[in-house]
Amino acid sequence: MSERKQVRAATSQLASIVESADDAIIGMTLDGIILSWNQSAERIFGYSAEEVKGRPISILIPPERSDEVPRILERVKRGERVEHYETVRRRKDGTLIEVSMTISPTRAETGKITGASTITSDNTERKLVLQLLFHRTIELEAANKELEAFTYSVSHDLRAPLRHINGFSKILLEDFGPQMDPAAKEYLQGIHETTQYMGRLVDDLLHLARVSRQELILQTTGLDALVEEAIARLRTEAQDRQIDWQVGPLPFVECDPGLIKQVFANLLSNALKFTRQRERAVIEVGQMTVDGQPVIFVRDNGIGFDMRYADKMFGVFQRLHRPQDFEGTGVGLAIVERIIHKHAGRVWAEAEVEKGATFYFTLGQPVQARMETMPMLGGKAW
Amino acid sequence: MVAGEIDILLVEDSPPDVHLTLHALREGNLANRAYVARDGEEALEYLFGRGAYSDRGPECQVKLILLDLKLPKLDGLEVLRAIKNDPHTKVIPVVILTSSREEKDLINSYDLGANSYVQKPVDFDQFREIVKQLCLYWLRVNQPPAVTAFSAKQRRSAP
Repeated sequence: MSERKQVRAATSQLASIVESADDAIIGMTLDGIILSWNQSAERIFGYSAEEVKGRPISILIPPERSDEVPRILERVKRGERVEHYETVRRRKDGTLIEVSMTISPTRAETGKITGASTITSDNTERKLVLQLLFHRTIELEAANKELEAFTYSVSHDLRAPLRHINGFSKILLEDFGPQMDPAAKEYLQGIHETTQYMGRLVDDLLHLARVSRQELILQTTGLDALVEEAIARLRTEAQDRQIDWQVGPLPFVECDPGLIKQVFANLLSNALKFTRQRERAVIEVGQMTVDGQPVIFVRDNGIGFDMRYADKMFGVFQRLHRPQDFEGTGVGLAIVERIIHKHAGRVWAEAEVEKGATFYFTLGQPVQARMETMPMLGGKAW
Repeated sequence: MVAGEIDILLVEDSPPDVHLTLHALREGNLANRAYVARDGEEALEYLFGRGAYSDRGPECQVKLILLDLKLPKLDGLEVLRAIKNDPHTKVIPVVILTSSREEKDLINSYDLGANSYVQKPVDFDQFREIVKQLCLYWLRVNQPPAVTAFSAKQRRSAP
């Protein structure tokens, strides 16, 4: 192939790339006179190439932004490139569209700047979606807050009458128990114990509501120290048992130390509870990497559970074991999940019946931080 | 009842709670040394010898106040503020005895000078034990200054 043919082939290839690009690609002189106009430019702005070639680029500019073109062209003349410039343009039918543009100088063979090329993408739809997402997020957060407040006040208001039933049934048992028919006494005992259990449910529910409402206070935290503190609290509970605590090196992370300590406390107390039948319990806390992301795990050699119920377990009041075998209200893992979600992390479990369970969690970028780094919704100045 | 015999002022509006708290106090033989105010206004009238209690002198002051937060008329925090702002009553230990464990109630109570904050447990055995311990501590173990300590100091330092 001759050199000229090669050049021609390369040029026509470049031309077809420009033509088929998804973004509008417009070439113009340094005075802003349109020289070239691809198919996407036609689609985005509504003008055909014939209509606009030779006309000034200012036909696309809304009147209140008329100073933008000279300012951009000034920079282009100095050899600067303007990237991701977010602004508003006007279509042929007069509708305004949100766009993001990159403008660069075009040069002659000598290197002299002869014009400008602009690559424009239509952001209108993306902005609408973002705005919708933003409003939905705010609505969802409000609904969540309302629900949490409701849970809190209901649990709170239920507590007082429950206390009263508990108290009066106890007084009845103590002061009048001796005169009572044994069956009557047994029923009364039943009422008393039920209120005690319901009291624990209500208190745990309040705890969950409190955790949900709590603002995250983020600090760089060594997880080792949190695990040590959580274990120290459990030691008295475990003093008559043989327990092998294996705590591997753990990372420093950005988290709310009080809440993450609660996560470890709940997971470790579960591990302790469900290894009760083991002669020697092994409870392990460590770190691993899954898909390049650090994952913290708490593993035990306890009675495990059937993986079919793995998803249910994190729900409020969900229990996989009979109360006579293992005590509890079924709120502990719900609290764990709530805290991890507040940290934009994920929590899941793997287990096998009689072979132990492992709980994993990640800590992501907390929600608040993400909201702040969300793309700006208005036009960005450069 | 002679006012001088009263050690404990229980400020509580709910009849079942009054009943249960008095029952708990009875076990420590303290029920007859307790007086019940049914709302915040009555509590302050009693403490400051006003209104229906104008025959009470400031000398025969109670040694312990058990204060509920949710009260009709004047709520618990307002009662607490009045108690801690007056030189005649500020030395009296105030124990907040409430159903709530709301963070802002805790903070406000301590901010206004509460001496202790206790959430009433659902379990009556625990509640009884707590009331017993509280009275033992504040009536027998704790050393308060003389009731007149702060009112006298205020008189001295007055220009």
